[in-house]
Amino acid sequence: MSSTTLSSDAGLGALRVAVTGGTSGLGLALLEELHNKRAKVAFVARTRRNVENVSRLYPASLGIVGDVSQEQDIYPIAMQLLGGLGGVDVLVNGASDLGPVPLALLGDTECEDLERALNTNVLGPFRLTKAILGSLSASAREGRGGLVVNVSSDAAVNAYPHWGAYGASKAALLHLSRIWNEELSPMGVQVLSFDPGNMDTPLHAAAVPDADRAQLKRPETAARELVGLIATSLAKVVK
Amino acid sequence: MIAAAEPVQRPPDAKLLVVSRGGSVRHWPRTDFARLLRPGDLIVANDAATLPASLSGIHLPSRRPVEVRLAARDSLDEIRRFHAVIFGGGDFHVRTEDRIPPPRLAARDGLQLGPLQAVIEQVLDHERLAVIRFPGSPRDIWEGLALHGRPIQYSHVQKPLALWDSWTSIASVPAAFEPPSAGFLLDWNLLDGLAAGRIRFCTITHSAGISSTGDAELDARLPFDEPYRISAASALAIGQTRAGGGRIIAIGTTVVRALEHAAAIGNGVVAAGDGLATNRIQAASRVQVVDALVSGTHEPQTSHYELLRAFVEDETLRRMDQELNTHNYRAHEFGDSVFVEGQRTAAA
Repeated sequence: MSSTTLSSDAGLGALRVAVTGGTSGLGLALLEELHNKRAKVAFVARTRRNVENVSRLYPASLGIVGDVSQEQDIYPIAMQLLGGLGGVDVLVNGASDLGPVPLALLGDTECEDLERALNTNVLGPFRLTKAILGSLSASAREGRGGLVVNVSSDAAVNAYPHWGAYGASKAALLHLSRIWNEELSPMGVQVLSFDPGNMDTPLHAAAVPDADRAQLKRPETAARELVGLIATSLAKVVK
Repeated sequence: MIAAAEPVQRPPDAKLLVVSRGGSVRHWPRTDFARLLRPGDLIVANDAATLPASLSGIHLPSRRPVEVRLAARDSLDEIRRFHAVIFGGGDFHVRTEDRIPPPRLAARDGLQLGPLQAVIEQVLDHERLAVIRFPGSPRDIWEGLALHGRPIQYSHVQKPLALWDSWTSIASVPAAFEPPSAGFLLDWNLLDGLAAGRIRFCTITHSAGISSTGDAELDARLPFDEPYRISAASALAIGQTRAGGGRIIAIGTTVVRALEHAAAIGNGVVAAGDGLATNRIQAASRVQVVDALVSGTHEPQTSHYELLRAFVEDETLRRMDQELNTHNYRAHEFGDSVFVEGQRTAAA
């Protein structure tokens, strides 16, 4: 079996990567970076028009319309990912929901907003990972390594007022990732968390409208770091 | 036997009929399956995910409703051309043998199947069997299947199946027209335990076909030719296990078909690569690779039954039938299972 050089400077040629939340912010920057590294990419987003626009920017990528917060969308998404790519080696769960916008104290947070944040940020990644877990483990058995990267936040770790719904859901995702990583590592599948920092993205703008954008991190920088994480993580297990 | 009517893959009371090489027939809880395994054994399962292969729609020339069931294709990478079994209006709630035939079909007839357009390329030598082609892009075809297709199902399960009901825990590439349901006994806990017991696990991808067409003449032609893929890692694991004297334990008849076909064309060696299983395993077949088989329960006179005759003597099969019936084993894809060690196979 031919090996793939996976240093952060080298290509990710032929690696099959699926990205949720791929038409905006970090997800979109990740598409650009993965495209540069010659990975085979599929991305998932809710709005058909956005998916079509991004597909035109990256014609070699596979754009899939679907909402990871909706249980009924998960298997159709999984089937298109697995059928379109022929299997998935890396899943990046980037689709995120802030909960209430504008951000709110927990006492003022509508239950439905917390529920939506949990559905998008926890249940969605959980369900989608489960649906493709067979493919990730097949990838590991075949020596390519299987990897899930769940996009996290310092709000998962620090108690920031007004960030309750988002922070609690990201904390749940962070701990889920840790436990799942322990469970799957013996079979060569890794589940990692990645905190991209405060980036200049539409999500951040919705959360902090008066932020000084010049002080925020470029999503392209975070995307490069994420791809670096993918490369170094897989290099540990690739045969 | 009664049909399992609920789409539960691992009911806690699932039964396993255990048939040893010596011919003894015993009843085990299926949750104890791993206790049958020995260090050095290799479990080989089919990791094909189930396609939502039932597509309802309209036969455009006649404007009459049809149900198209995708049933075969030439390779695992083919996404445009399929053999299909086509029914008239109605759905799975009606027994397959009671379904009305399709309107008269002809080459170049168009079908509108939800968002998917299809064209009949060729009607084969049966009114229900045709080759159809989807003219769209692979991306559009996958999306159309995902949004409009439904898992093929039968009247013994009245509740409409969700796609997740029909995927095994290990499902990977969407390639099966019906679930490789012997694999329903697998969960991650079981797989976790294998490594600790020095039992290896690998998968192949095999395009499991349909089990019934509703027409006896067509049924007699099943299984159709089925493409499969064996990875380098799985071929290596199989070779190492055979060399080390371990048992190759197939989870499902699709694995038997693929491995025995690969061995037959590989001079006894299971090599990595793509193949098209054209073989039928019957009483006279020489089983070279598979030492034991896990599968669903069987009915006499089926191709599944005939496959078992390659593994065990007819007398053992008769005792199995008796035990399955007197102990009320459930049949079909969500039913109980059998574990059969070969009495007649090469390694026996």
